[in-house]
Amino acid sequence: MKLSTGLFSSAMLCLAPAAAFAQTEVNIVAFAPGFAWADLFGATGTEKTDKLLAFEAANDIVVNIEFADEETARQKVLLDLISGTGNYDLVMLGSDGAVQTFSYAGYLEPLDGYLASATDYFDPSAIYPQFLEANRVNGQLWALPYYSFGAGVIYRQDIFERYGITAFPTTTEELEQVLQTIKDGLAADGITDVYPLTMRGAPGEEPSLDLTGFVYAYAGQPAWFEGGAVTPEEIRETDARPTFTGDFRPGFETFVRWSQEFGPPGIATHTWVDMMNLYGAGKAVVLLPSAINGFAALGGTENEDVRNHTAFAPSPIGPSGQPIQSFWTFSVGVSAFSDNKDAAYRTLAFMTGEAAMQGFAETIGWPYSTFPSITNGPLLSAKWPAETLAAVEASYEQANPHYFPYIPELNAFMEQIGTAASEAISGTKTVEEALADLQGWADETMTAAGYYDN
Amino acid sequence: MRPDWRFWFLAPMTIALATVVLFPTGYLFWMSTQRWVITNPPRRFAGLDNFTRLFGRDDFWQAMSVTGLYLVLSTVLMVALSLGLALALAGTGRGVLRAIVVLPMVIPPVVAGFTWRFLLNGEIGFVGAYLLPMTGLDVNLLAEPRAALVSIVIADVWSRFPFMFLIFLAALQSIPRDLYEAARMDGANPIHEFLFITLPMMSGAIFVALLFRLVDTINTFELIYVMTKGGPGRATQLLSLFGWDMTFQEYDFGTAAALGVVMLVIATIGATLMFRRYQRSEREMSR
Repeated sequence: MKLSTGLFSSAMLCLAPAAAFAQTEVNIVAFAPGFAWADLFGATGTEKTDKLLAFEAANDIVVNIEFADEETARQKVLLDLISGTGNYDLVMLGSDGAVQTFSYAGYLEPLDGYLASATDYFDPSAIYPQFLEANRVNGQLWALPYYSFGAGVIYRQDIFERYGITAFPTTTEELEQVLQTIKDGLAADGITDVYPLTMRGAPGEEPSLDLTGFVYAYAGQPAWFEGGAVTPEEIRETDARPTFTGDFRPGFETFVRWSQEFGPPGIATHTWVDMMNLYGAGKAVVLLPSAINGFAALGGTENEDVRNHTAFAPSPIGPSGQPIQSFWTFSVGVSAFSDNKDAAYRTLAFMTGEAAMQGFAETIGWPYSTFPSITNGPLLSAKWPAETLAAVEASYEQANPHYFPYIPELNAFMEQIGTAASEAISGTKTVEEALADLQGWADETMTAAGYYDN
Repeated sequence: MRPDWRFWFLAPMTIALATVVLFPTGYLFWMSTQRWVITNPPRRFAGLDNFTRLFGRDDFWQAMSVTGLYLVLSTVLMVALSLGLALALAGTGRGVLRAIVVLPMVIPPVVAGFTWRFLLNGEIGFVGAYLLPMTGLDVNLLAEPRAALVSIVIADVWSRFPFMFLIFLAALQSIPRDLYEAARMDGANPIHEFLFITLPMMSGAIFVALLFRLVDTINTFELIYVMTKGGPGRATQLLSLFGWDMTFQEYDFGTAAALGVVMLVIATIGATLMFRRYQRSEREMSR
């Protein structure tokens, strides 16, 4: 009797904690602790704030986040998805490659069917539609956007005024003249360590987001494939061949030439960090088209001139009538291998919804938000001039998130395009050579992938 | 005849070795025969197609030549620096100097890479933006292709030479002093001593150091990734960075595995050639 009572008691003792921990666990991998979801995981990324604890209690979900540096986080996502373990229920993605590649590969759960299930956290009708569109592939939604941005220019008004420029130019043609005026003015004043322009030209995918935005502004369409084809179906149906030595060229050539003529000498190795540091140090007059990196610089700079004389302007219009693009969303998707997809989506809705973005605005304060209610809300309105917020908002409306093709091979293309730009900027290859190599690689890649019959 | 039971004591180590070395190596070889591109599923057997594709790529050959150049430049510089410092600091009472020389070894390559990157940066770096222009040298060390290669060689030598220095120092200190005394009695000058005693007596250590250097060069990644990401363009893209791109940017695991096999073969052939050369010189010395 005593023995059986003891066994029963032991069994209950074992079951008690099990019952207490019967909540569903949702695991996430992401980068940038203290920046991403600081309102949920604190400044170090290792805490759980009251806001998060309240969500967990209300939904019987335990949220575990694993922060790593950006490259490591991307590698963890890739390895987890290809091995199909489902260790991570929610995976960090970018709208410039991962969303497209992983959705085509079947690694992500389509989200359209879940949208109605957590509108208390994420209301799809309340968000700027372009940010959702950026995460749609073949009409299906694969991820929800968190921190996101559109194209724009951030520039030094005081230096513009010093050289008699009263307004930021609205076209690429005018901007080139203005950059030349600034270059001449700086040279005449003997200033050799301030550069008219900063962009990013490091090898790899880094410059491609901006560079393909130039291509779009010059060609009026993505111009990677004949006829501006952007989906695998269009490419197959129209037998659209790569056009890197054709329509792609004017935008590419302009990006390279501006980098060489107006950019800092090290631009061929510059990443967004270098853009930010250079602008923040007061060594660059114009930063485009990913103005977000300029706003990032403003937060950390001690340079009074940069802080007090920086202005925002819409991205200039190219010869095609389209503005230079740079549109990106830090997106999060549900792994197709997750065992807890419903809980994962609910967590995702919570982490990308209006309250989460309000938290992001409070902790980071940049004039970018995925929700109009926050862009035009009291917090950002008090911090930024109305014209800046209006211009930022206009940049979303003008954006075509699909300004580059949405194909499974997007990541590899972004890598090759960025490296070709770096080669051309550094002078190891001419623009013609770099584009000819890119064309050859693209022909071979698309043929090997079975896009063309012959 | 029954096998000796004591061989069973080797079993744990054999299993451990098979798990951490043989299995991954076998898996690498297997992957290299698969057409495994996640943008183009499903995975399928491809024979030697991945190798054909790899050898047909211009950027592979460019990475090969950059790796070769990097190997030669960094090895020459590293041997000269390590041997010179080992000779200078082999005597007694130089412990503090030796500790200073060894200091870079405890700095992780990523930290070393960031430090060098910010030092050499042509816009805001102490060396790149201030020191070099003061000397009249108008070159951006990380953005000009040849200068970028030299820059990563210098950073790598700085970061890794202490290991070679320690190997040389240990070898130098183990050479019997009486050999030098006998040579001096025979009229040898310091150059003779170096050429006919020091160098031959250190040949084993030099072989080991060069072997490590070869493997190090083939594996060098983080320092270059942090400093230049293989750029500008592909000017500093070693095989390891090329493989990383192929895996994590192009998602072509099969071809990346084929590259891994090629790197393994290069390292094995290099090590075998060096070992044979070393054995031959040992035989010649013992005659």
